[in-house]
Amino acid sequence: MIHFEHVTYTYPDAARPALHDVSLSIPAGAFALVVGTSGAGKSTLLRCLNGLVPHFSGGTLTGRVTVDGLDPVVRAPRGMSRAVGFVFQDPEAQFVMDRVEDEIAFALENAAIPPAEMHARVEEALAQLDLTPLRQRKLETLSGGEKQRVAIASALALRPRILALDEPTSQLDPQSAAELLDALVRLNATLGLTVVLAEHRLERILPFVDQVIYLPDDGAPVIAGSPRDVLPHVPLLPPLQALAQALGWSPLPLTLEEGRRFAVHCLDDMSTDSTDFNGLRKKNSVLSVQSVEKNTPLLEVRDLEVAYGSTTALHGVAVALYPGEIVALLGRNGAGKTTLLKSLVGLLRPRRGDVLVEGRSIAKTDVADVCRRVGYLPQDPNALLFADTVLDELHITLRNHDIPVVNAPIVPEMLLERLGLADKIQKYPRDLSVGERQRVALGAIMVTQPGALLLDEPTRGLDYRAKMQLLDLLRAWRAEGLAILLVTHDVELVAEAADRVVVMDQGEIVAQGNPTEVLRSSPTFTPQIAKLFPESDWLTVGEALAGLDTGS
Amino acid sequence: MLHAAAWFAWLIAALIAVSTTRNPLYLTLATAVFMATAHAIRRPGETYAAPLAPGRFALYVIPLAAIINALLSRVGDTVVLAIPSTWPLIGGPITAEALVYGALNGLLLTALFTAFTVLNLAVPVRDLIRFIPRAFYPVAVVASIAVTFAPVTLRQMQQIREAQAIRGHRMRRLRDWLPLFMPLLTGGLERALQLAEAMASRGFASESRTARSTRAQAVSVLGLLGILGGGLLIAWQQVFWGALLIVTGSAAIVGMLWLTGRSIPHTTYRRASWGFREWLVTGGALFAIAGFLFWGSTTRAYNPYPAITWPAFGTLAGTALLGFSLPALVVRGDDDSL
Repeated sequence: MIHFEHVTYTYPDAARPALHDVSLSIPAGAFALVVGTSGAGKSTLLRCLNGLVPHFSGGTLTGRVTVDGLDPVVRAPRGMSRAVGFVFQDPEAQFVMDRVEDEIAFALENAAIPPAEMHARVEEALAQLDLTPLRQRKLETLSGGEKQRVAIASALALRPRILALDEPTSQLDPQSAAELLDALVRLNATLGLTVVLAEHRLERILPFVDQVIYLPDDGAPVIAGSPRDVLPHVPLLPPLQALAQALGWSPLPLTLEEGRRFAVHCLDDMSTDSTDFNGLRKKNSVLSVQSVEKNTPLLEVRDLEVAYGSTTALHGVAVALYPGEIVALLGRNGAGKTTLLKSLVGLLRPRRGDVLVEGRSIAKTDVADVCRRVGYLPQDPNALLFADTVLDELHITLRNHDIPVVNAPIVPEMLLERLGLADKIQKYPRDLSVGERQRVALGAIMVTQPGALLLDEPTRGLDYRAKMQLLDLLRAWRAEGLAILLVTHDVELVAEAADRVVVMDQGEIVAQGNPTEVLRSSPTFTPQIAKLFPESDWLTVGEALAGLDTGS
Repeated sequence: MLHAAAWFAWLIAALIAVSTTRNPLYLTLATAVFMATAHAIRRPGETYAAPLAPGRFALYVIPLAAIINALLSRVGDTVVLAIPSTWPLIGGPITAEALVYGALNGLLLTALFTAFTVLNLAVPVRDLIRFIPRAFYPVAVVASIAVTFAPVTLRQMQQIREAQAIRGHRMRRLRDWLPLFMPLLTGGLERALQLAEAMASRGFASESRTARSTRAQAVSVLGLLGILGGGLLIAWQQVFWGALLIVTGSAAIVGMLWLTGRSIPHTTYRRASWGFREWLVTGGALFAIAGFLFWGSTTRAYNPYPAITWPAFGTLAGTALLGFSLPALVVRGDDDSL
């Protein structure tokens, strides 16, 4: 169905090729997963399938690509549109019309499909992605997951035999992402559609994948094959596979069920060694929490009530954030997490209650002045970046606060070095990868050395490596006494980093406490390791390894 | 949802009816009928889409028009206020008649404004785009994208404003707009490129598939020349030949557009149907305009100069105006098809 023969592709003005001598083939009806860090060439590979590379990107392509018997380089994207459906990262950036039905019909109108057949095909596409009840809705009123399903339905309207998706879940919360991936699995199984998917969230789909294509970012040859053959070569894996590799479980478990069989054996071996589970409990992190609470809180919220017009978004919220701790804020979409963050820096003014920074109310303080003491990283760092170079971004923040560069609380170059951007100082921020751009934004915020840092969904769209870099950074800052509030859906990150977890629902705080207790209270918040060892209190691979080690 | 063409017929009839009268009774009645229609077709929870509701529009425009007219026109028997004529520009008598005449103009504008408000509420921009001839299909697509782009851009602007505020940005100088404008611009361009890729992937051809034939271009130029020449002939009192040229020129252009449109392979998904309700609305509007022009032929005109008189009112002509309220009976705001 898809064949790459010695394909090498170089972007215009690039020093080295984005794809280097790639040879692989994907059979018809396969579910192929493309993995690799951002910038390893996943998008480039996908774009070769329908000729967007090289037709939109320019550059030089050697070797031969054959897709469904066609040559995308010769046919160009338009000529490939009936063979390959393409779905992009940001659902909003691919819409032409404003209503679900019209959006799906757009490609059919262009292809001059007769009206009777067009209606049949639109119905079909709506049904395939469970969109029939939403058919009349305006696109702007849909959730991110629904939008992305509309994008898939629109791509399928021309009945291509191949569907290529470039990180379609990177803008979605875990619930919507899971639903979207389920829909893809169903399409692959029921229609025999060949799916080629670039994706960071591997946990959910690994069990359904026929083929994994790993693109190493150091220019090493591409590895393609069955998941069990390829995954051991991939450096950063979901917790289950990471633990399995560390413990040498073979064959590599792809689902939690498979993993549990190994886990049970492990624990059996241990209990024969006369250790009972109570002995496995790790030293409680409550100690550190208590020592922290003796200090005065850096940020405190009292009985906060925030409303948008007549709808109350927050109700009776009270939290405190102490220096030197990481607090994770969890909750569904619309629970009020972002609203709380915005209220903390004064972007939203409360109807009742008060926000105190270092003991003083911010009710009459300018947002800019609050943000000098409380850093806030919004969801989309792109909204922040506009300067010509990375270093300029930091200087601009200093200038905003009327701080001369020589008097800056931290030397901008040093901060950038800590952020791992030392070699990117003179680069144009928007040319960087998602993870790097986020760190530039962090630099622009942290250059005033605030005492607290609020992060809104910082791991969205990040690959495993960028996530680990962020995690290391946050831990280092915590050790230096920064108070960190982390709004996230990423329970694995919470398991790794948080000292305390706060759960919000419908504008109220419904649970608060140490991660072990709170994360295990609800299945949606339970990390993989906790699911694997339900009797233990381990949350992360490290804890499990340490626990198993002391046990045996 | 009502066919957009029915709404256009309604609007044109309404505009003609309103602009042929200065009789305050008819104007007030028409405005009231339009307002009632607007209220009836309004979707629940939606306020008037226009930046100003008709009521507020009237509140500003009528006094303003009255004052301006009173300052410009000094005729009329009843002097309300005499400004010393030595004052520049505003000096001279202010008459009640001029005030009334100005207010009538304001009332007329209010009636027109309300009629457009109704159309704005009734027909989505998207349906207006469908009236762009198929020969200009790429233009229609661009217009459609612009409509989709606007709300996204507004949302982005809000995000950027907040993002800049939290890094200490304040609006003090002109160059402080830069941090707001640059991300918006780059973000917009990135999105545009992405959209171009997405559209190509879905088989959209930005260029017309058939090369624009020189014949079609020649015909449209000739058609335009015909219309222009016809206009000149009419100006020179050659009404018959002038009208003939205009009609021929227009027919040539319409025919050319139709032929070019046919050569662009394209089908439409949403075909609005023309049914009973459309007939009723169009018929109502036609009845209203015909009845109003016929029965109101003597009472339509009203002139407050040289002295204010009570305007005449024809019951039949007034009844005819009620024909404009038919949409209120057949279209409901909670209509789920919207």
